[in-house]
Amino acid sequence: MAETYTFDAKDLAEIKKLIEKYPEKQAAVLPVLWYAQDKFGHSDPSVQKLVSETLDVPEAHIRGVVSFYTQYYEKPIGRNVLDVCTCLSCHVSGGYDMLHYLEERLGIKAGETTPDGEFSLQSVECLGACGYAPMLQVTNDKFVNHLTREKIDKLLEDLRAGKEPEFESNPMPQHQKES
Amino acid sequence: MPEIFIDNKRFEYEEPGKVLQFMLDNGLDLPFFCYHPSLSIPANCRQCIVKAGMPVFDREKGTFEVDENGDRVIRFFPKLMTACSLDLADGMVIHTHHTDELVKQAQADNLEFILINHPLDCPICDQAGECPLQILTYKYGPEGSRFEHKKVHKPKAIQLGPRVILDAERCINCTRCVRFTDEVSKTHQLTIISRGDKNYPMTANGQTFDDPYSLNTVDICPVGALTSADFRFRARVWEMNQTPSVDITNGKGSSTWLWTRDNLVLRVTPRFNEAVNDHWMPDAGRLAYRKFNENRVSRPHLRPDDSEQVRTSWNNAQLTVLEEIEKVDADDILIIGSPHASVEDNYSLRAFFSSKGVSKFYFVPHVVPGSGDGFLISDDQAPNTNGVRALEFEEINDKKLIKLIETGKPKLIVILDDDLIGRTSLTMDHLKQSWTVVMATNHSETTRAANLVIPVTTAAEHTASYVNVDGRIQRTVPAKETLYTNRRLNLEMSMGRLDHYGTKFDNWVSDSNRVDCIPAWEFLVRLDADRDTPEWVSSRQILDEIADSHPAFTGVTYERMDDENGIQLKLEQVSEAKTV
Repeated sequence: MAETYTFDAKDLAEIKKLIEKYPEKQAAVLPVLWYAQDKFGHSDPSVQKLVSETLDVPEAHIRGVVSFYTQYYEKPIGRNVLDVCTCLSCHVSGGYDMLHYLEERLGIKAGETTPDGEFSLQSVECLGACGYAPMLQVTNDKFVNHLTREKIDKLLEDLRAGKEPEFESNPMPQHQKES
Repeated sequence: MPEIFIDNKRFEYEEPGKVLQFMLDNGLDLPFFCYHPSLSIPANCRQCIVKAGMPVFDREKGTFEVDENGDRVIRFFPKLMTACSLDLADGMVIHTHHTDELVKQAQADNLEFILINHPLDCPICDQAGECPLQILTYKYGPEGSRFEHKKVHKPKAIQLGPRVILDAERCINCTRCVRFTDEVSKTHQLTIISRGDKNYPMTANGQTFDDPYSLNTVDICPVGALTSADFRFRARVWEMNQTPSVDITNGKGSSTWLWTRDNLVLRVTPRFNEAVNDHWMPDAGRLAYRKFNENRVSRPHLRPDDSEQVRTSWNNAQLTVLEEIEKVDADDILIIGSPHASVEDNYSLRAFFSSKGVSKFYFVPHVVPGSGDGFLISDDQAPNTNGVRALEFEEINDKKLIKLIETGKPKLIVILDDDLIGRTSLTMDHLKQSWTVVMATNHSETTRAANLVIPVTTAAEHTASYVNVDGRIQRTVPAKETLYTNRRLNLEMSMGRLDHYGTKFDNWVSDSNRVDCIPAWEFLVRLDADRDTPEWVSSRQILDEIADSHPAFTGVTYERMDDENGIQLKLEQVSEAKTV
């Protein structure tokens, strides 16, 4: 790990705010790791070490937390992580078709990162959006629902251009009636 | 007094506590893995589950509700409870596997889950024979496995640190090791990584598990996941004899067990002693097994003139010492006691040379300032500094010692087991001017400088007592035979399973592992050849004499030390006696 990571004064001020929300420093591990991952793009051992030193929480504990949650990336990963759901509901609605289309478009297999570091592709289990299958999640954040090839093409284009996908509201049928 | 009913038997309790600990204190059995009396309670193994309930209290009447038979109505918790985390409560009713089929089934099912990914490699596992998982599966577990799929594989034989090796597949994630580094040694070096069936204990990336107390995690690991790098594959647990002893590498004097086979000490583990070391001991103390086995002085070594040391007979050694004592004035004899030797040895040294007219006795404390940690590692590197002090040896530092030798020009120097050249600024040249007798357990720079080396027994070979930094006197029991002792004749020595049931080829076959040495006091008794009967025939007699003559040791006996796990001495008495 040639690169060394540091928090600047602005980061430290933000982190101080996070710490002050909790009675103990250990409780701030999750939000501070989020903050670090947002900044550095991953939570590899040197980032874990930085967080441990900033919070004065044992490094071993940070490693335990990072390895527990799949949302923290233990290794450097693509700028955009596409988590394509291939669990039951998405599967029957063509989740694998969407995954294979993405593999074809990006030229990588699930679990890999494109050589330019732009995209990582993962096949994941249920994300709790069975009603909008098939779907994918972009970097632990927005869901892209009712996937089609056209939608994927547009998504890749947008992401390459640095544009985040829009939040899509999919109200439940009973709520639609009310409105 | 509050009462609790366990398996329809009534118990009374005074102190608030947990159900599991209360049951263990009362000799009742309940299986558990993650619970440890000196650590916090996570209740994550789920093995100690019991059915628990409370009597129904009628607030209007102010009495307990009773059924038609006149018995209290019990309202049980809707689910089984973990006894380790369940507080004792007045009137509580507990049903264990002895009286409740559900509990029995739940415990067996839980064990089946724990065993799902556990490799059944007991035949090659170091823990086998002292493994809670093995024992509890035998007692409470299912008879066979119904799991027909491939087990989850994890890393094996990882060197976590210099002394601890991890086999992640065997781990049942009880977190005892993690809690130990968090709560007892406070190095926070371990954590459980990953999740679900893939998790196992690990250090942070790139860190080594070099905690000075790391081997305690091996002791408390309820499976063979953590094993000692030193002891790995050295012996099966049931082949060894187990003898209580005291840690002699450190002033704290942690209570230990010595594990011996074929007359070698193979490992040292802590022995519970609430007043000294609880369940723990420092890693450094476990290395004492090498001191007991390796580089031992065997048979007296004599240096005729200026040549190399040669081995000589005990008779010759005794006669030579006596000759040298005869040759010189009592004032020309320098006696140096040792904080590394026992109370008995130092006392007999003093007694013998007092009878020869020597009046001054010295010792050099072995203290390395800053090496202690305030827990179980003390600055004092010797096990008996306070004992020698209480016997009124004069405490000197090495500069004073060198001055004594350079100005006093003693013709005869007697050093009790202490590597003075190795650990102080004393050099070989200082000893060259005089005729030097060293009584030593191991070869060292000091023994190489001596004119006569008398091999003496280590703490693993004799019965003797040591006074630790806090003034607590504790004793050792012989664990290892010398050339002159026999565990079938010395009834204090422990006998192992193989002694009783093995053939003579199974165990204790290598005579070469028996060292030709005797206790220092015994050599001094032999020197006193003028007496019709020996002054002492056992160290027990010496201790009795010390107890009678020294106010600090009043009432001290081996029996009391055994019963009370050592006795706290009132060392102020010594200083008072001095001023009078």
